[in-house]
Amino acid sequence: MEHPRSITAIQTASILVSTIIGVGVLPLPLFAVEAADSGGPLVTLVAVLLSFAGLSIITVLGMRFPHQSIVEYSEQVIGKWPAWIGSMLIIAFFAVLTSLTAREFGEVVVTSVLKKTPVEITVIVMLLLAAISTRNSIATFSYIHFFYFPLLLWPALFIVALSLKNADVLNLQPIWGNKPKDFLGGVITIAALLQGSFILTIVIPRMRRPEKAMISSLIGLTIAGGLYVIIVAATVSVFGAEEIKQLLWPTLELAKATSLPANVLERLDAAFLAVWVTAVFTTLLSSYFLTIYALRQLLRLQEHKMFAFFLLPFVFVMAMLPQNIVNMYDIIEIVGRIGLFLTIGYPALLLLVSILRGKRGKRHGESSSL
Amino acid sequence: MTTTNSLASLEDKIAFINGQCGENDDFSMRPFHVFGRHPAVLFCFSNMVDPSMLNKDILKAVMYLPPHLANEDIPPERLEHVLVNDVLYYSLARLEKKPAKWIDGLIRGQSVLVVEGVKDAIVLETRHIEKRGIEQPATEQVIRGPREGFIEPLGTNLSLIRYRLQSPDLRINMMEIGRRTQSSVAVCYIEGLTNPDLVAEVKKRLSNIDTDIILDTGYLEQFIEDNHISPFPQVQNTERPDKVVANLAEGRVAILVDGSPLALIVPTVFSQFYQTVEDYTERFLLMSAVRMARLVALMFSLVFPSLYVAIISFNPELIPTEFAVAVAGGRAGVPFPAVVEVLIMEISMEVLREATIRLPQQVGGALSIVGVLVIGQAAVAAGFASPITVVIIALTTIGSFATPAYNAALALRLLRFPLIFMAGIFGLYGVMIGLILIANHLLSLKSFGIPYLSPLVPGIFQGLKDLLIRGPLWWMNKRPGLLQTLDSERQNPKMVTPPRKTSKDILDPNKSMDEKER
Repeated sequence: MEHPRSITAIQTASILVSTIIGVGVLPLPLFAVEAADSGGPLVTLVAVLLSFAGLSIITVLGMRFPHQSIVEYSEQVIGKWPAWIGSMLIIAFFAVLTSLTAREFGEVVVTSVLKKTPVEITVIVMLLLAAISTRNSIATFSYIHFFYFPLLLWPALFIVALSLKNADVLNLQPIWGNKPKDFLGGVITIAALLQGSFILTIVIPRMRRPEKAMISSLIGLTIAGGLYVIIVAATVSVFGAEEIKQLLWPTLELAKATSLPANVLERLDAAFLAVWVTAVFTTLLSSYFLTIYALRQLLRLQEHKMFAFFLLPFVFVMAMLPQNIVNMYDIIEIVGRIGLFLTIGYPALLLLVSILRGKRGKRHGESSSL
Repeated sequence: MTTTNSLASLEDKIAFINGQCGENDDFSMRPFHVFGRHPAVLFCFSNMVDPSMLNKDILKAVMYLPPHLANEDIPPERLEHVLVNDVLYYSLARLEKKPAKWIDGLIRGQSVLVVEGVKDAIVLETRHIEKRGIEQPATEQVIRGPREGFIEPLGTNLSLIRYRLQSPDLRINMMEIGRRTQSSVAVCYIEGLTNPDLVAEVKKRLSNIDTDIILDTGYLEQFIEDNHISPFPQVQNTERPDKVVANLAEGRVAILVDGSPLALIVPTVFSQFYQTVEDYTERFLLMSAVRMARLVALMFSLVFPSLYVAIISFNPELIPTEFAVAVAGGRAGVPFPAVVEVLIMEISMEVLREATIRLPQQVGGALSIVGVLVIGQAAVAAGFASPITVVIIALTTIGSFATPAYNAALALRLLRFPLIFMAGIFGLYGVMIGLILIANHLLSLKSFGIPYLSPLVPGIFQGLKDLLIRGPLWWMNKRPGLLQTLDSERQNPKMVTPPRKTSKDILDPNKSMDEKER
C-alpha cells in the first residue's frame, strides 16, 4: 500500500532537531565534564560526529528502501524471524526511552518548580500529552515538529547569549581536557542522548523526496549537535569544570544564573523550564510515536491510534521503576549504551547484509505495488 | 404525480391550486377575462408580491388586446403563444408545465396565471419582499474601505458581489436546502481559477444536508465544517461583499443563503481570523505593525490570566522584587487563592459582556461603563479582588475585543478557562501543557484538506508574506499555493516591481528653474 508522501526535507530536518533536543540537554554539560573536564565541548563534538555516522547509516539504508520503514525492509534483508526480533528490540527500547525521558523530566519539574507535586503526576501528565498527540497521522506529527522547532531553538540560544557576560574563556582551556578520564565513555553517553534521530527510519518512507534525506539529516544534526556543543561550551565557560560536577542539571543552573537586561524577569529558570516543556514534549512524542508506529507495522495493522493508550500503562510503570534520581541516571546511562548497539549497530548490520545480498527497495517514483 | 394533462380544464387547475394553497387567508385568487374574452385566474400570495406591478404590468397588459393585434381574431390554440410573445411585456415570465412548480413559485412570491384554453400556466416573477437598506456592516467596520454590507435578501447580496467582480467567469450556482424552508443557497466561485475539485466538494457537502430548516449560514457552517467538536471555527463568515470578492479572487468559494446577511468563505485557515479588509487598503508598513498588535492581543486574550495565576501562585520569584512586593501588598486583603480570584473576575466579566450584548443599545453603553467602573472598583474596595487582577482581566477582555473575527475570539475566550485551571494546578508547567494541547489540536485541524495553521505550517514561503506582516501588494504576486488554484499568478510577472522603479520625477523643481534661467 502506498501512503501519501507529505513530509518535506525541511520538515524532516526539523523533526530531527526537535527530537534530539530534549530533556537530555539539561544534564548534558555534567556528562561532558565528568568525562573530560574542560574538554567537554570536544567530547560533545566527537559524540555528535559519532551519532552522525550512525544517522548516515540509517539514512543510506532508508534511501536504499525509500518505500519501507526499518520494520518492513529488515524482513527483506535478514529474513522474517531475525527481523522480528530486531524490530521487537527496537520497539522495546524506544518504549523504555519514552518512559525514561518522561521520568527524567518529571524529576526535573518536581525538583525545581513543583516541589510538592508527586513525581507520578508530572510523569503521567507528560505521557498523556504525548499519547494524545500520537493519535494523529504522521503528517500532523511532522507539522507538530515543524511548528515547535523554532520555539525550542531560540530559548536555548537566548540563555546562551545572555550567559556570555559571565563567561570566562579560560574555563574552556585546555580544550582537550586535563588528563581525560573517560573520554570514550563520555562520547558514548552523549551520543546516546542523540539517538532520537532513529525516528528518521519511519519518516523516510513518507518523505516527498526520499533522496533528500541525507541533506535533511545533515542539516538536522548540524543544528541539534551545534546547539549541544554551544550549550556545553557556554556552561563550562560560565561555571568551570569543577563547579559543574557539583550540579545535577547545569543547563538549568545556567538559566538560573542569567537574568534579562532591564530586569524584566528576575530569574529565568522557571520560564526556561516552562518553555522546555515543548522540547521534552517533542522528544517524547517522537520516541512514543516510533514505538507505536513500529508496533503497528510489525503487527501489520492499519491504524496506530489504538496503541497510544494501550501501551501507556506499561510505559508509565517502567517510568516509575527507578528508585531515585541517581538510580535513574545510572539506568539511563546503561540503557543509552545498549541503545547505541540497537540504533547504530543493528542498522549497520542491515546495511552490510543488504549490500552483500544486493537487496534494495524500489526507487522513488516507481510504484511499490508488486 | 399531477401533470398538466390531468388538469386540462381551467376548473381543474383552479381546484388543484386552491387545494394546495387555498386554505391560507393571505392567498389571493383573482378571476378576470383575458382580452375581455377568455376566462382566466391570477393566483398569488398577496403580501409577497408587488401589487402595483401586478396591476400595471400584468393585469392591464392581459386584459386589453394590444393595438397591433386589435384586428386579429385569436383562436384559443394560439392564445398561449400570443400571451407570452406579444402581450406580456414583462421579462420574468415563463410557461410552466408542472403543477408542482406552480405551487413552488407561488410560495416564493411568484404569481401564476392560468387561462382557459391554455394548457400550461404562466409563472410571473412578482416577488416583492420588504428589505432594509444597505448599511455599514456592524461587525466589520473599517476606517478606509467600502462601507457596504450584505443585507438579508439573496438577490441583493449577489448583485453586490457581481458589481464588484465584473467578470463573466464569476459563477453563481443555486441550490435549495431545507425540507421546510426551501432556502436558496448560492455557491459562488470563479471559473478557471478556483480548483474545480474544491467546488465539487463544497457542493457535495451542501447537497448532503437534509434537514428541515436553514435559517442562516450558521446552520450550513455546522454541517459542512471538517471538525465538529473543535472550538475553533473552520469556516469564515463575513458581512462584507468586498471581502467575499477578495477571497473569491484568491480561489476560495463563497456560500450565501437567502435571508442571511453573512456569507461563508471556505476553505479557511487560522490567519484569516486576524486579518481585516483595512490591512490591504492602508499602507503596508503600518498595517503590518497593526497586525502584529492584533496578534499580541490575541495571545493576551488567551494566556494572560493563566500566566498571572501561574506566576503569582507558583513562581513569584520570576518577576522583579519590587513588583512582587506590590502585588503581594495588593493581594493582602484577598482571602482567595489567585486562581479563584481570577476565575470569579473572569466569569463576572463574561456575564457583563453577555449582558451588554443583549441589552438595547442605549442602555448597553451605560451598563458597560457602570459595570466596569463600579464593579471593578467595588470588588477591589471590598477586598474581593486585588487591583492587579482587575488590570489583568481588563487587558484580557480588551485583547479579545481586538480580534476582528468574533467566532475566533470566542474560541480563545473559552479556552482561557481550562488554561486558568491548569495554571492553578501546575503553574507555568500546566500553562505550557495546555498551550501544547491547543497548538497540537490546531495543527491537526484541516479545512477542506488545508492545514489550519498554513502557511506557517507546512512552511510555504509565498504565504509568509501575508501572515505576520502584510507584504506590499506588488510583492504578493502569487495566489495562496495551498488553494491549488488553476491560475496562480495574481499579477503579470513582467510587471516591474516595485512600481517606483519605472516612475520619473516629472515635476522636478530644477526643471522649472532651468526654464526660467533660459
